[in-house]
Amino acid sequence: MSRPAASPGGVEQRRQAMARATQRHAFGWLVFANTVGLGLGLLLLWPELNGAMSPFTYGRWMPVHLNGQLYGWCSVPLLGLLFAACLDWRHPHAHHHARVALAAWSLAVAGGVVSWLAGESSGKLFMDWSGWARPLLPVAMLVLWTLLAGHVWWRLRRPPPANRVSTSLLIGLALALVALLPLPGIFFWAADPGVYPPVNPGSGGATGASLLGSTLGIITLFGALPYLLSIPRRAPTTPSSSGRPAPSGSELSFGGALIASWIIYAVIDHGHASHTARDQILGLGSLFVWIPLAGWHLAAFAWPNVARRWLVSAYVCWGLLVASGWVTFLPGWSEALKFTHGLVAHAHLAMAGLVTAVHHALLTCLDPAPANQGRASSAPWAFLTWHLGLAVHLLSLFLLSMLEEANPAGLFLSDGPSQLLMAVRALSGAAMLVASFSWLKQAWSR
Amino acid sequence: MSDNPPPTPPRHALVAAVLCVAATYIYFLIFAEFALIELAKPLAEGRLRWLMGTLAVGGVAGSFLAARSFRFERYARAVGTGFRACGAGAAFVLLAKSWLMMILAALCVGLGLGWLTVTLVSGLRGVLGGKRLGLWAGISTGSAYAVCNLPWVFEASPAAQTIFAALVAVGGAIAAIWLDLTAPPRSDTRDYEPAVTWFWVAALLALVWLDSAAFYIIQHTEPLRAATWAGAWTLGGNALMHLVAAVAAGLLIDRQGAPVVVVLALAVLGTACSWLGDGENHALGVEVLYTAGVSLYSTALITYPAHGGRPWLSARVYALAGWIGSGLGIGLAQDLHAVPLWFIALAGVLVIGALAARWSWLRRAVVKAAVCLIGLGGFGWGTNSPMYAAEGSDPAVALGRRVYVAEGCIHCHSQYVRPHVAADVERWGPVRPLTESLLERPPLFGNRRQGPDLTQVGNRRTPEWNRLHLMHPQRFSPGSRMPAYDHLFHNGDPRGDALVAYLASLGTSTLGERLQQAAQWRPAIATPSNADVALPHGRLQFARLCAPCHGPAGHGDGPAAAGLSQRPPDFRQPTWRHVPDGLSTEARTLVLARIIKFGVPGTAMAGHEYLDDATVVSLARAVDALYAARRPPP
Repeated sequence: MSRPAASPGGVEQRRQAMARATQRHAFGWLVFANTVGLGLGLLLLWPELNGAMSPFTYGRWMPVHLNGQLYGWCSVPLLGLLFAACLDWRHPHAHHHARVALAAWSLAVAGGVVSWLAGESSGKLFMDWSGWARPLLPVAMLVLWTLLAGHVWWRLRRPPPANRVSTSLLIGLALALVALLPLPGIFFWAADPGVYPPVNPGSGGATGASLLGSTLGIITLFGALPYLLSIPRRAPTTPSSSGRPAPSGSELSFGGALIASWIIYAVIDHGHASHTARDQILGLGSLFVWIPLAGWHLAAFAWPNVARRWLVSAYVCWGLLVASGWVTFLPGWSEALKFTHGLVAHAHLAMAGLVTAVHHALLTCLDPAPANQGRASSAPWAFLTWHLGLAVHLLSLFLLSMLEEANPAGLFLSDGPSQLLMAVRALSGAAMLVASFSWLKQAWSR
Repeated sequence: MSDNPPPTPPRHALVAAVLCVAATYIYFLIFAEFALIELAKPLAEGRLRWLMGTLAVGGVAGSFLAARSFRFERYARAVGTGFRACGAGAAFVLLAKSWLMMILAALCVGLGLGWLTVTLVSGLRGVLGGKRLGLWAGISTGSAYAVCNLPWVFEASPAAQTIFAALVAVGGAIAAIWLDLTAPPRSDTRDYEPAVTWFWVAALLALVWLDSAAFYIIQHTEPLRAATWAGAWTLGGNALMHLVAAVAAGLLIDRQGAPVVVVLALAVLGTACSWLGDGENHALGVEVLYTAGVSLYSTALITYPAHGGRPWLSARVYALAGWIGSGLGIGLAQDLHAVPLWFIALAGVLVIGALAARWSWLRRAVVKAAVCLIGLGGFGWGTNSPMYAAEGSDPAVALGRRVYVAEGCIHCHSQYVRPHVAADVERWGPVRPLTESLLERPPLFGNRRQGPDLTQVGNRRTPEWNRLHLMHPQRFSPGSRMPAYDHLFHNGDPRGDALVAYLASLGTSTLGERLQQAAQWRPAIATPSNADVALPHGRLQFARLCAPCHGPAGHGDGPAAAGLSQRPPDFRQPTWRHVPDGLSTEARTLVLARIIKFGVPGTAMAGHEYLDDATVVSLARAVDALYAARRPPP
């Protein structure tokens, strides 16, 4: 890639084009994965529908739903975040480059969808990329990395910006990109069926250390959001002697707690540790400190109005997630809820609750034009429908888990109460699908 | 299609064009689709897909070569060249004595046929004019199908059919001399706007796909094959149906336009495909519908690109819709042995989408349907993924494990008995050491239980029961949420039996431990004291859970019993197989309860481990009452 000619006039339009493209891909995947999810709910309710779809039965659609959410809706907005942070918007084709990366990513996930439906699976619940589909996402990652690296390189070669903060951020981005380079290779390796994470021998599920590590990764990423999106602070900060703005109290607390949390993660057992082990319980319990800290940190920034509404939702979900995640890990509760719909409820609270809310805020902030910000995510009825649907959905799953814990036969043999709850769950899923479709429609209509 | 009314074509050109189209179709139908494959079979040794692939590659290449070289001023000559190449290809096939030669011959046939179809159709409107193009195309198509269904052609040996095809090609080459272009060569209606053409290609591809899949299923299912193509009367009827349907399609196209015929073809062909079932259990009259549907869409397959008069469009239609659509259809049928309803629905979406795409405001919505099509392209490929490759000591078990993974069984069934959870150990035990599970690549712990845990399923279900249950889950477990996997057992598909072998392998070494566990089990409630309360509940549960095998009155004559190698016991008999005589009521209830909960290993009597103790005891009471009612008084 040759060095681009500067063309500052179209910077805003190019960023808008990128934001639009990201929203379309992201909401497209959300609608797709939600549609599949609703279909799965109906297949559970009326298993005979599987016959009409043979051989594409329930088990083949499950990874489509799960991975469509994970690698589609939960990932694509983060690509937008990388574009916002790394791309050189003076490049006349910057928005096209973003589109290329988005297309490569979506194609890779679409390839994955075809592979799962075709029965190409590794047998792992996560990182289920096998056979011919295994290199797809690493290749998309490489495409993305190359484009980002090219743009950061161009920015580094331009005359240095006026303030040193921008220079530091740019160097930080370059270093982060260097650190991310091995990721496609690691992803490819981790997708091998022989590579399996530590197992909690008491439950057959994840260990406390694994849960803590993955949650800290999310905290780190979400904590960096305002900086990568260049969201200004609400209260002006006093510059230090070097001319840089002094860190605020919330930032200092956030940074300090993050380091402490990673140290806790480093010292607890990383092997096949049981949920009865004290270090696992306490390690996971240390996440409680992030309930107030996360709120304090995010509240320190001047988010656009629409984004703020979603961040409040994210914060509520976050609090519930930390609490429910810890409680369901505890001995006694874990035995009762493992393998039931209770843990499905927890996963849906994370994906449909926390991640969805944060990503709406993120997509809102990607667009530099205040008039456009949050246009796709702003409809109050869709916001309410989504949350109401989610609440009913979670409640029905929780009640189902109580039923199956007491009497698994009710679930296995489609007894009346379980069928009723399944129907409620499907209805709430339909409501959420309607809301997500309205967001997609808005993203396309602009 | 009423733009620019063309002059009436000269009679000799008209006859020549009709003959050329008919000759091309005859060559394709009787030789490329039939005789070539039959002649190649002795040399193929299971590699027929390679031959068909080569034929398709040649067809696609020939199509695009023809588009690139197309010139209206050299039309007759180029068509003649195509026929000569086809004739030479047929001769080459006759002479081929080795597999390599056969592959090369198939390549020649593909190249020749691809060239011929694209060239011929691209200039057809210039010869026949636009006004009655549909009619003439219908007559040609119908005649070709009719000729191919003549008993002496259809039932001839493959070599004779090849010679016939070569002669037809020679005839076509001679007729091509009289192909005079006199009319405007192209139409400019909205159907030929660049964006719309892609939707048309997609719609035609869906139709070819349906046809090819149905054709394959009919050809490879003896009862259907006999009903469709056996006997002079059937063949004669086919010939007539083809001719009538094709001519009707042509007339409709001339008066109403191609969209009407395409929708009609979809309806007829779609219905035929849905009636096919798995071939063995097809509906009556499916062959008639299939014959009509094929003629309808085949006529549209000529008239759409012919009206367009655009060589690159013709190339796209025949390369993508024709050659690739055929390949995908055959692949679909080979893998699924049926045309799924969802696929017919999708074909409907594509065809309707193509029609909607003629209006730009609807086109955007139609793009989504195209995305689905891309996905489908992968299905044909993906379902051929090398999942059958065996690994490990027992190839059947290894394959079965891969099927278990591919079908996503882990999303409903766990394979982990939690060592400190008493209910887990009781229901699904014994515990399997974690270190043992971790040796698997990957361990299949799963994270849901919408059905039983399968860690040790081999010690509590027989292969026979598993097989029947996989095929008809609700028949053996009424109310079960499990999908039916009977398609895994069809037409020699090894996956079903492999899956059964895999399930049988789980827990075989723990049978003794399981038996001991069952022998020690006692229900948490007292058995005889609450008999009055338990009995009505037990009778209800018996009707629901036991009657499918044991019959409503316990005579062993339930609807599911027919599939079992050993008939379930008749509870009226004075002696039972697994309950010793002379036991007290309490002891007999306990033995029955154990059987109901844990099953009888080695027999089709499966356990009901997931039932609570009260239900198990009430069931035992209900079964005992069946026996007691007929017991002679002491």
